[in-house]
Amino acid sequence: MTETELTRKLLPEEKNDEFIAIESETFLQAAWRKFRGNKRALIGMVVLIFVVLAALFGPFLCPFSYETQLPEKNAPMSLLHFFGTDKFGRDIFVRILYGARISLSVGFVAAIINLIFGTLYGGIAGYVGGKLDILMMRLVDIIYSVPPTLYVVLIMLMFGPSVTSVMIGISISSWMGMAQIVRSNVMSLKEQEFTMAAFVLGAGDSRILIKHLLVNTMGPIIVTVTLMVPQAIFTEAWLSFLGVGISAPMASWGTLAQDARSLIEVYPMQTVFPMLAICITIFAFNFVGEGLGTALDPKQKH
Amino acid sequence: MSDMQTQTGEPLLRIEGLTKFFPVSGGKRLFAVNKVTLEVGKGETLGIVGESGCGKSSMGRTILKVYEPNEGKIVFDGKDITKLSRKKMLPYRKRMQMIFQDPYASLNPRLTVGDIIEEPMTIHKIGTPASRKAKVQELIGVVGLKPDHIRRFPHEFSGGQRQRIGIARTLALEPDFIVCDEPISALDVSIQAQVINLLERIQKERGLSYLFIAHDLEMVHHISHKIGVMYLGHLVEYGDADEIYKRPKHPYTQALISASPVADPKSAREKHRIILEGEVPSPLDPPPGCPFSGRCPHVRDECRQILPDMYDYAGRKVACLQYSPKAQGITLQ
Ligand SMILES: Nc1ncnc2c1ncn2[C@@H]1O[C@H](COP(=O)(O)OP(=O)(O)O)[C@@H](O)[C@H]1O
Ligand SMILES: [Mg+2]
Repeated sequence: MTETELTRKLLPEEKNDEFIAIESETFLQAAWRKFRGNKRALIGMVVLIFVVLAALFGPFLCPFSYETQLPEKNAPMSLLHFFGTDKFGRDIFVRILYGARISLSVGFVAAIINLIFGTLYGGIAGYVGGKLDILMMRLVDIIYSVPPTLYVVLIMLMFGPSVTSVMIGISISSWMGMAQIVRSNVMSLKEQEFTMAAFVLGAGDSRILIKHLLVNTMGPIIVTVTLMVPQAIFTEAWLSFLGVGISAPMASWGTLAQDARSLIEVYPMQTVFPMLAICITIFAFNFVGEGLGTALDPKQKH
Repeated sequence: MSDMQTQTGEPLLRIEGLTKFFPVSGGKRLFAVNKVTLEVGKGETLGIVGESGCGKSSMGRTILKVYEPNEGKIVFDGKDITKLSRKKMLPYRKRMQMIFQDPYASLNPRLTVGDIIEEPMTIHKIGTPASRKAKVQELIGVVGLKPDHIRRFPHEFSGGQRQRIGIARTLALEPDFIVCDEPISALDVSIQAQVINLLERIQKERGLSYLFIAHDLEMVHHISHKIGVMYLGHLVEYGDADEIYKRPKHPYTQALISASPVADPKSAREKHRIILEGEVPSPLDPPPGCPFSGRCPHVRDECRQILPDMYDYAGRKVACLQYSPKAQGITLQ
């Protein structure tokens, strides 16, 4: 093509005199504006940042480790031991900080595995459709029909009780929701004209699936991942509380609550503190997830 | 209008007996495109008209192999592409493109205008990233948008502007043939002419061929060299645009033209509206014989039994028994 074409003036009758009505704002800018307007989501986010920072750096600032057994057992709350000590003389506050690391990493790892596996699985089922889709969704139903606890117990029996086993068990039992959400989004998006446009341009399957279908499912995917974290934290806490989860001396929040249970009538606060940590974190994640849900939904303008 | 045929006379696109049906519940088949035969010459526009649901989009999509054809042949530039695999189709995708009806749905909302226009070149590995960017800049100018539009998202544009973005995306591959599937029917009337003018100019500059789908015969007549009229998946009349517009032969074409608002009051033919009785039959349950027999004002007994061929008559092809060689023989006697 020549320069003249580039610089050539448009004829008057083909000039476009339409105006651009909406000011320039990218998808993420708009989402952030809507998210900021949601107080609960904002509070949730601040709490989460605080919890994550505490889990990362808190233990370095403490004079004791999670294993250190002090002479003072079952001490009450004080300036030295914010939440007191447990029956072995370990600082409960410090143990909750370490517990945060375990609980949060279980949550994050499960969420990331979900993100990758659930998205691919649902994306392929929805995109290919037909018999493969029926088969893949049948498998999802089967996996659903087994209670999540059972997976964790089975994995523990196979690989021994460890944080990794809990993560694997929880991940195996929780990716199906993501797969279903991605599948239904992909199914409706693939009927849209921009998908046909990509096909006519010669785009291959992986390009169509990733660049056109999954990119447009980003909102629901982000929300599902965010809500996945507290769900995994809760499952892990619940399992540990039942005694099937992570065991001593390492301790997740669920283990801490479980350890203190025998003394619940004498020292109830030893159970209350780890439970509070679980509740606050789960609520914060849910608030953020809910806020993202509205912020990333293109149908919700303000 | 000038007819720019090649020296060899071989058309750019030829379809023969092209058929596309969709399986529907109950084991039935919905014939969206039924044994259609037509040609598009180089640099030529073939306008396709017909009511909504008559199979125009399905035909355009089958030609571009978005839908696999069930019967018939698609010959592009002398090569039979009917059975080509998706991979073998790739070189032809560069040459055969499509402009869509809905400028809101045909652009990926999460890509910037620059990415949208660049994507076809990335897919076909044309040029370097830098040369592609330059090409995007150039195309933006060709379709009448501004350079700073490149970083914006589709939702920031009006319908006409989005259609321009779609046109730029298509032109990135420098195709020879474009299916325009009602490219202006979703636009404001005031914008329609601008987009039509743009398409006409691009055609003149690049010698492109269009298969231009629309339901407004007036407009199709204005931009087309040839016209094809479709009814219930069948092509019922096909030939020179002016001839068909001024002297329609098929009763359905006559009804369509009489129903369109008159632009030319000095028109020689006395305009009286032909009111068609009844509804368009369901394509799932077409009448036996001629598909138009149920609504045709000139219907005869044989029309309900015999499916007419495309007969040569008065310089065009018409699928109506009035013009069969036999009927013509009778009139001549
Ligand atoms: N993917 C499909 N599956 C089943 N039926 C279809 C499909 N696409 C189109 N049809 C049917 O084929 C017929 C022709 O549709 P279409 O080609 O969209 O017509 P037009 O573009 O002329 O309005 C309609 O009856 C429509 O319902
Ligand atoms: Mg259509």
